[in-house]
Amino acid sequence: MLDIYLPIIFAVFLAAFTLYIIRIVKGPSVVDMALAVDCLAFDLAVFIGLLTLYFNTPFLIIGAIALALWAYILDIYIAKYFVRREVGE
Amino acid sequence: MFEVIEWFVFIIGLILITIGAICDLAGALGLVRFPNFFVRLHAATVGTIGGAVIPLFGIALVSAVSSQLGPFRWTVAGGAVIAAFLIMIIAPAGSHALAYAAHKAKVVPVEPKVCDLLEEHEKRKAKGAEKK
Repeated sequence: MLDIYLPIIFAVFLAAFTLYIIRIVKGPSVVDMALAVDCLAFDLAVFIGLLTLYFNTPFLIIGAIALALWAYILDIYIAKYFVRREVGE
Repeated sequence: MFEVIEWFVFIIGLILITIGAICDLAGALGLVRFPNFFVRLHAATVGTIGGAVIPLFGIALVSAVSSQLGPFRWTVAGGAVIAAFLIMIIAPAGSHALAYAAHKAKVVPVEPKVCDLLEEHEKRKAKGAEKK
């Protein structure tokens, strides 16, 4: 059941990734690019979870947590740079 | 009886994963098609909460009843739930920080605008500082 159904979901997620990458390349301002990278990182976390189910390898899911936190750090640093004009400690 | 419950949980998990995939595609389409940054934030939130939190809960449900993972299925379910809760807290905080920074540094024009209370407040504060 999962072997047949998950590739369809993979196709939808890959289409969404392509659209996000179009926005990252095209993005007129830096905040647009940061927003698109943010969405892409959260969706990659979900994609890692789906790959865990597809390949039956349970330790892939640990990467999803680190990926979500990394996207948050990117957001906070870009926002802090724009408000204070410095990156900070 | 137990097998029926397992089958039910499995179907609910697959439905959540499907809803997540559809929301994700809708969010990505909105992020490409919408005209400016402050409108795009709306589509981005559809893409993160609908497209990342809901399918992670679905992954947790599906993995909790999939017997081919063996005893490690609770590892997958716990990791997915933790990642889902983290994203649910982190994604709105991050997009609010980005919106505040873009408004404050005037990187992008605030363009479908009816009234801008934050800008008025900052103007009033600057005037008060000049008087002193």
